[in-house]
Amino acid sequence: MIWLESLGVEGYRNLATMRLEFSPSINIFSGKNAQGKTSLLESIYLLSSSQVLRGSRDGEAIQDGSESAQVRGEVAPTGTELGVDLGHGKRKRALINTSGLPRASDLIGRLPSVVFWSGDLTLATGDPAARRLMLDTELSQIFPAYLKAFSAYKRALQQRNALLKMAQERFVSDEVFESWEVQMVAAGEQMRHIRASWLETLRPFAVETHAAMGRAETLSLEYVTKEPGDLAIQFAMERRREIARGATLFGPHRDDLELTIDGRSVRLFGSQGQQRTAVISLKIAVMHAAQATLGFPPLLLLDDIFSDLDQERRKALVEVAMGAGGQVFITCTESEQAGDSLIGAAKVFRVQSGQVEEE
Amino acid sequence: MQFARPLAELIAQLEKLPGVGPKSAQRLAFHILRMADDDVRRLSESLLVAKRSLRLCDVCQNISEGERCEICSDPRRTDDVICVVGEARDITAMERLNEFRGKYHVLHGLLNPIDGIGPEQLKVRELIQRLANGVSEVIVATNPTVEGDTTAFYLAKLIKPLEIKVTRLAHGMPVGGELDYADTATLLSALEYRREI
Ligand SMILES: [Zn+2]
Repeated sequence: MIWLESLGVEGYRNLATMRLEFSPSINIFSGKNAQGKTSLLESIYLLSSSQVLRGSRDGEAIQDGSESAQVRGEVAPTGTELGVDLGHGKRKRALINTSGLPRASDLIGRLPSVVFWSGDLTLATGDPAARRLMLDTELSQIFPAYLKAFSAYKRALQQRNALLKMAQERFVSDEVFESWEVQMVAAGEQMRHIRASWLETLRPFAVETHAAMGRAETLSLEYVTKEPGDLAIQFAMERRREIARGATLFGPHRDDLELTIDGRSVRLFGSQGQQRTAVISLKIAVMHAAQATLGFPPLLLLDDIFSDLDQERRKALVEVAMGAGGQVFITCTESEQAGDSLIGAAKVFRVQSGQVEEE
Repeated sequence: MQFARPLAELIAQLEKLPGVGPKSAQRLAFHILRMADDDVRRLSESLLVAKRSLRLCDVCQNISEGERCEICSDPRRTDDVICVVGEARDITAMERLNEFRGKYHVLHGLLNPIDGIGPEQLKVRELIQRLANGVSEVIVATNPTVEGDTTAFYLAKLIKPLEIKVTRLAHGMPVGGELDYADTATLLSALEYRREI
């Protein structure tokens, strides 16, 4: 098992400079809103994913009046120290045992985590980008080959989109287009392959979890490519249209993950209750599947999730959190929300005005 | 803090250099102030001389003192094989091996539409012109990044129809790493296991 033994932060959001030591099982950050408990969770996520949460900019995580923000964490049992430095107008820097890595994303995969926050409750109905982000974040942590393909694809996509815009103004030869497309096809096909086989792994776990929550219906997951076909051919055939639009219209960055109940789209036909249960089942399935694939449980980061859930769904989540045997971090406004069974086993940290006190 | 005007000017000039932030610019400026007058003169002269007397080699586009660089003028080196690199500094890395006996070609960049760089902005035309004179192999030694791979693929597309073998440095290169920083052993195996593209 891999877990986070200690955390040190400096200049990070509203948090005081501090060093915390964690329990290998359950840790609870409790406090009123806007006191810093989510920032603590976010700093852990930063060590895990090299990203800040919810699409905010890196610079926003630097404390007002501070030039930089530093996060350090010691991973057990290896004793490896992971670090991320953020600075205004500078590139984010990731470190392992104090030596800098070539790219921040090289940190990914060393402390795998699954994150679940209240915004995820609209995952089934919301923007496809949120579902792709979930897939990309999880798969990058679990499969190094995915991280490699995803990074290459993202870069080649940005370059090709710039090329399409360039072609609106001046001649760009087919050879130049094909040279970029060949990179996108190779990386994109690998992404689609890993995503689809991940859904195969996920599906039985989702069905099982859904059933365990007392649902008679069958939950399933489908990988959706709106315009299926050979990417290389699509790029070649539709290039004129893409130049006019100045954007790449085909590829895994346009694909989606669809949740279905008894074969019907949750997004289109599900009740609000069905949508929530489907998302929770999906998230729990991700935890189980990640554990089965990695061979150890990933960190589980639950942000403010309990207040939005009813008793039954809360119970299902607590059972999973307890049962996985991995390290769990939970933020909540009242530690009682997390349930008695959790509190007894947990190390509780009270967070107030950026200061943390161990209970 | 307010600096005397000449000092502030020196710091401002140093800060324009790549990789030099405000703090290191100050450190360098104060170091220069402490240096012997002769050393400061030599430094400033070498800056000017380097800038004035260097140009691009007519053949390989490497930075050179004359029309032809030292490598292109070396009669012991073969014209058969050309090793294509992105930047002139990458030649130094390859030369450390003491292994490669062919010649080089410097593209001065890689394909990069985000920065507005297409083949016309690189020394691609000059490379193709060189291939008319009995070249048997082109080794593409661009960095193993998306841009480096794309540039290599593009060159292969242009060169292969000329019935010239095109190879690419392969094994052992750190992914996303830069040729400039690769250690010798890594680079040596990369050269040994180059593959056709
Ligand atoms: Zn030359």
